[in-house]
Amino acid sequence: MKMFATFFFSIYMLQNAICLDYDGWLNIKIEHTLNCKHEEYCARGSISLKSIRTGIPIIDQINFNDGHINELKEIAKVDGIYALRTLVSTAESKDVEIFSFVRAKRFLESGLSDIIRAWVLPNGEVIALSLQVANTSELKDVEYRSSEYKLNSTFYIRHVDPAPLPDTASYIQKLEREKEAREKGDLKDNRSFLAKYWMYIVPIAIFVMISGAANPEPAAQAAR
Amino acid sequence: MGVLSSNLKPSFLGLLKFLNNMNWFIVFFSLINISVCIYEDQIGKFDWRQTYVGRIKFAQFDTVSTAKKIIVATEENVLAALNLKTGQVVWRHVFETASTGNIQLLHVGEKVTTVTGSNPYLVRGWDSNTGVLIWEWSLTVQNDLTEYSQWWVQNNMLVHVLPVFGSHIEVTMYNLLTGNNRGASSMLPAVWTNERCIFTAPYYTCISGPLESQLLLSIDVTSNAVKIISKPLADYVDIQQTVSVNLRPLGGNSITPSFVIGNDRIVFIRDNNFEKSKVQLGDKSASATVVDGANGHILVQTWMDDVTGFTLKAHSVSTGKEVTDIYCSDKTLNIPKPELLAVMCTRTTREQNACRLLVNAADDAVHLMQQGGRALWSREEALSRARAVEFVELPVSDTDAALESEFGQKEGSVWSAFARRLLTQYQQLQNLVRSLQGESAVQNSSSSLVRDYFNLHRIIVIVTDAGKIFGIDNLSGAILWRRYEAALSARAASVFTRRSARTPPHHAHLSVVAAHRETGNGFILSLNPITGELIDEGKLILDVRLLQCMMLHVPDSEKLHALVLLDEKENVMVLPSSAAPLVEDVYMYVAEKDTAKVQGYSLRYDGKAVRARRTWAARLGGAGAARVAALAARPRLEHVRAPGRALPDRSVLYKYSNPNLVLFVVERLDPLYKEEVVAVALDVVSGTLAGAAAHRRARALPLAAHADNCFVYLYRSEKHRRLELATMELYEGKERWLEPGVPFSSLESNQVPIVEHQAFILPATPTAAAFTITERSLTDRHVLLGLSSGAVVELPWGYLESRRDESLPAAAPELPLPADATLNYNRTLRRVSGLHAAPAGLESTSLVLVTGLDLFYTRVAPSKTFDLLKDDFDYYLITIVLSALIVATYSTKYFASRKMLKQAWK
Repeated sequence: MKMFATFFFSIYMLQNAICLDYDGWLNIKIEHTLNCKHEEYCARGSISLKSIRTGIPIIDQINFNDGHINELKEIAKVDGIYALRTLVSTAESKDVEIFSFVRAKRFLESGLSDIIRAWVLPNGEVIALSLQVANTSELKDVEYRSSEYKLNSTFYIRHVDPAPLPDTASYIQKLEREKEAREKGDLKDNRSFLAKYWMYIVPIAIFVMISGAANPEPAAQAAR
Repeated sequence: MGVLSSNLKPSFLGLLKFLNNMNWFIVFFSLINISVCIYEDQIGKFDWRQTYVGRIKFAQFDTVSTAKKIIVATEENVLAALNLKTGQVVWRHVFETASTGNIQLLHVGEKVTTVTGSNPYLVRGWDSNTGVLIWEWSLTVQNDLTEYSQWWVQNNMLVHVLPVFGSHIEVTMYNLLTGNNRGASSMLPAVWTNERCIFTAPYYTCISGPLESQLLLSIDVTSNAVKIISKPLADYVDIQQTVSVNLRPLGGNSITPSFVIGNDRIVFIRDNNFEKSKVQLGDKSASATVVDGANGHILVQTWMDDVTGFTLKAHSVSTGKEVTDIYCSDKTLNIPKPELLAVMCTRTTREQNACRLLVNAADDAVHLMQQGGRALWSREEALSRARAVEFVELPVSDTDAALESEFGQKEGSVWSAFARRLLTQYQQLQNLVRSLQGESAVQNSSSSLVRDYFNLHRIIVIVTDAGKIFGIDNLSGAILWRRYEAALSARAASVFTRRSARTPPHHAHLSVVAAHRETGNGFILSLNPITGELIDEGKLILDVRLLQCMMLHVPDSEKLHALVLLDEKENVMVLPSSAAPLVEDVYMYVAEKDTAKVQGYSLRYDGKAVRARRTWAARLGGAGAARVAALAARPRLEHVRAPGRALPDRSVLYKYSNPNLVLFVVERLDPLYKEEVVAVALDVVSGTLAGAAAHRRARALPLAAHADNCFVYLYRSEKHRRLELATMELYEGKERWLEPGVPFSSLESNQVPIVEHQAFILPATPTAAAFTITERSLTDRHVLLGLSSGAVVELPWGYLESRRDESLPAAAPELPLPADATLNYNRTLRRVSGLHAAPAGLESTSLVLVTGLDLFYTRVAPSKTFDLLKDDFDYYLITIVLSALIVATYSTKYFASRKMLKQAWK
């Protein structure tokens, strides 16, 4: 078994980490259906976080061998799915079962790289895990020849944000500002002359145009 | 448009004065639509309202006042007066839905008296003409066991009978108007009382005693001296039957205290003695009552059976002879389990009975009949509890169908096409000749149910709680067909239009997927929504409960969309089974309401059968206690055409328009913040979350709606003690994820959309929420809210947008609910429970049906009717002006050429 860890840092996450009530640990056991002897699911590895707030995962997963790859290829042939069972444990809850899946074909194409996103409530509980395949733009057809294949997993923590409250404070401020402005004097109308009086200009212009078009006629009559 | 027209208006009037001799300006400006709301003369033009009262519990004829009425009290806690001649509601009072509004007693004397609630009770008096409240007093009974309370009005005294089983009966009398107690409650010793006792005022009757020597006991609760009538039960029923003898009072405000014992024996209580009736019930399910007839008391009974159909019979109580002029037996009348609510008979000059019978049926319909069984009017009270609604398109007319089939057939040689052409032209010629011969009247009646040009005419199919299904014409509100299925429980019914009427020669096909009332197993009804007749599988009762159902997106060779059903054993059933090979890449989800556990399934045909495999599962409420309060999926009829929205800086913000998103509003208990509402936008194909928001110290309301990339849901903020409306919008960003034209796939993408949130204060209590839907979703989107005040308001999405551009003014935190945003103007709708929108053929218009105690249909145009001329468009003026202009042009041309000619000669 070989250690493989992906560290993920982002300012975005640090900002969001504030919404967490209190920090805690998170442990996710990952099981899959490939190359299992008797049981339906067998271990693929685990992801553990010492602190949800920092969001730094330690990913510890097995490497796939030929048995895994062959089975995966079999599933991909019929466009089947590669399913994961995850058991999520936190300080509050133990072994909450969450299932997720990707299409086996896409997983193979991507060179066994997947993205796991765990959605965490403000109290640190995981409500859903989404498993998605990483972009395959650079890797189209991976040759599976060697005997060991690294799983290339990326793990993100996503926080369920506290929703905003109705924004009363800034609205009241805005009203007060307007009130002040009104007390100081009328708001200056800084629209252009045309923008202000177009409705008077247009009819006159039309009238002038029409009368201009109609004028030659009496002149002609006078000539007769 | 509104801003523009309000700016234009003053200058426009000035201009008219200025140029009133120039016709073309009038023509030009008549094209500008200035109206914003509806005018008074448009009331009822595009909308209709039907008022209902619910299944009737008590009814009495109001014979005192001059305008004849029936006063009814219903199971929906409504007190109403119905016009005796038309059945229309004269006045109506809607009480609380909870047990506080439960009507216990209805008494119609000079005034209408009701007792409502359950300890404390409210006693109220109403004026029967106007429905005005005259008096009211409240009453609290000290005893806790008030469940078996009986109420009765006698000589302006309200009698409350409270049996304490196995001990005594407590009788208290109150002054009806003031509530003054005549004295203390009197306790009548009655150790023989039990749960099966009945009250037939003023007697309280029981069967009691050891099994072999059971007694029939009765006591007059109002008399001063305690007199108990006691007779062996064997005198009245066969001793073999006495194991469980039924006792039920006669219905319909029987004028003498009497009851049915056993299955069919009737016993009267007269002069403190039991008296066996000479007449027996005709059927054990029959409903009977005693009324005052032309020649003494008569016993009226009614029932429905397979042999005689609906049967109505009457016998004289004293002689036992049948009163023939009331008799009726009609196989065509379909009144399941008829029940006499109230009967009134008057004597005509020829010693005959003129009776009015108010008959309630198991399908919640109420019929007013006269003697001989002729129905004067019927009310379909089942419509007060609509559960599922579907708008169904009408078929095209025969000529259009012929045209369509002509152009629809691409294959075939030139000659066959030519032959078809000739044939259709011959048919058209025939039609023309026929219409010239004056057979248009015949055509009109059949063409009334034909699709109109703008596809505004529909049939609304409503599935009701009572198990009755209605087809309603959306323009007139008339009921076109009705079908009663006693075993259908519509609590979680779904309706699918599996084949529209657009595909001749196939007829339209609609399926109702519901549960069986007793077993809870799947119940599928397939019918033609235009006629209401059963078709194809017809009525199908499964032997297993259903978890989820859906309609397959691809039609089969007969253009029928198959139904895919997932049962509780996770087996899949496809209807029709021949469509099973079409099931490919089909996904389903199942949400457990009480645990907020959601699961996804992938369905696939493996050569023999369709198998479901669980693919994903999530616990949206976390590990603790949680429940799904509301769930909103994208409407099936919505097709989104616009991929993004233009920003003020001319860039485009692309929408995350995932058709597989479902909004779950989950209420969970948090140890720290008590209640918490979590709104989750979940892709139910892949099981990935697109966006989520948590509201602390809030309780969810069962209201949510979803359209395109917009989500709206409501919750009660416990911290601020107010209702709030939250919106959520999902965007891809300024870069498009997929190339234009590439279909979206939930399984391919790995990006997470940008989620915008916003919350607003709602100064009202909503009971229903929905989005408007239009044909191509190019028109603005409005949120419709049904309020507890009886209004249905339209809120433009612009007010609620989560994403605020810098150029726009900051959103007002409290949503304005202007009076002119009320769809139903002054027509109050009580207990709005559902809002159903459907797109019309016109892009601007959305058809809306509001269900609840009342039905209200209207059409809304969120961006105004930009594709329609306004209602009062002056066709004559524009025709006259245009023709005058053409005439003027040619005449001046003629005169000008003549002048030129003359000038040339000079």
